[in-house]
Amino acid sequence: MVKQVLAPLPGLFYRKPSPDAAPFKQEGDPVAAGETIGLIEAMKSFFPVEADVAGTLARFLAQDGDTVDADQAIAELE
Amino acid sequence: MIKVLKAGLETSIQDYPGRIGYWNQGFPPSGPMDSWSFRFANVLVGNQPGAAGLECQFLGPTLFFDADTVIAVTGADMRPALDGEPFPMWQSVAVRARQTLALGAARVGGRAYIAVAGGFANEERLGSRSTFNKAGVGGIDGHSIKAGQDLPVAEGRGTPGLLVPNEHRPDIRTDRTWTIEVCAGPNDDWIDDAGKKRFLSSAWTLSAKSDRTGFRLQGPEWTFTEKAYNKPKEHGSLPSNIIDHGYPLGAINLAGQTPIILVNDGPSMGGFINPYTVPSAAFWKLGQARPGEHLHFRLVSVAEAQRMAKQIAERCVREILVNA
Repeated sequence: MVKQVLAPLPGLFYRKPSPDAAPFKQEGDPVAAGETIGLIEAMKSFFPVEADVAGTLARFLAQDGDTVDADQAIAELE
Repeated sequence: MIKVLKAGLETSIQDYPGRIGYWNQGFPPSGPMDSWSFRFANVLVGNQPGAAGLECQFLGPTLFFDADTVIAVTGADMRPALDGEPFPMWQSVAVRARQTLALGAARVGGRAYIAVAGGFANEERLGSRSTFNKAGVGGIDGHSIKAGQDLPVAEGRGTPGLLVPNEHRPDIRTDRTWTIEVCAGPNDDWIDDAGKKRFLSSAWTLSAKSDRTGFRLQGPEWTFTEKAYNKPKEHGSLPSNIIDHGYPLGAINLAGQTPIILVNDGPSMGGFINPYTVPSAAFWKLGQARPGEHLHFRLVSVAEAQRMAKQIAERCVREILVNA
């Protein structure tokens, strides 16, 4: 079953903890419930995008640096 | 009292027009960024337009009411819910003791406002209840609200069932594009004609590195007049450096090549030029703009900016409200 991970607030989406770091997750990686798969930046702060269930990261629906809305689907877990 | 169950993202008590009269000592006015929505929230619940209310930013709080009251939520749509039921915005609504109001993430706009009949009764500091986080002044203990706190509310009597008609609400954009008024100066003579034209014709992207201190913009290069290069050394090494001077509120402050709009909690002085200034009547748009959205600037006269401010103030009154 496909489960979407949603943006917790509007802002800029990043797949990496810092510009020079590796992405939190690649497509195909396992994801635990509560695990961070990306960050959203707003008001000079970064907020984790967390999976609320465990699964395998099937694909990202938002790209690194994209502007996202609240509740926009960021990734799909299977 | 209202108990904070979840604080949201730097939700703070603000009043309008805020902490006026201390700019010369470095205290900004603070206050709500979208004072149009804020004033209407107060007017809906029977308060003076400037009474202390809550500003919610991008992610709203969850509040528990320990007494019956009348409240209103305006501004950004954070899908407010009362005990899980959708709560109507831009209306005065009766809330019963032991009910819980929850705001989520902003779906339209960036900042929502919550007013309570009577207004918040935190202590005034330098003549205002507004929160100035950076200095730890105003609000509750100088800072944004925190989970577990009890927010004191003054005695008040509101009338439920009042509504702000659509045509009197601010037009919060859903197309990610804003036209923001600016007045020229104080240092527009440091920018050359090409630079001025570029500023007024370009789309500027609002950076996520923006908060109540400054709104950072990304866009094209700035080019300068002779004045920016041919100046005494003490002005500093960058073309946008100037010997330290006072900043107007709303200044588009040029830090090297990065323009930063100095907003409600901004600095009062420094060593960069301010080629343009956003008038207070356009601040509501900044308050509702979100990271990644595009800002276009439109040049207006000071007289026009003052007229706009007057028109907003004339709207935010009891006589405009209708029955829901």
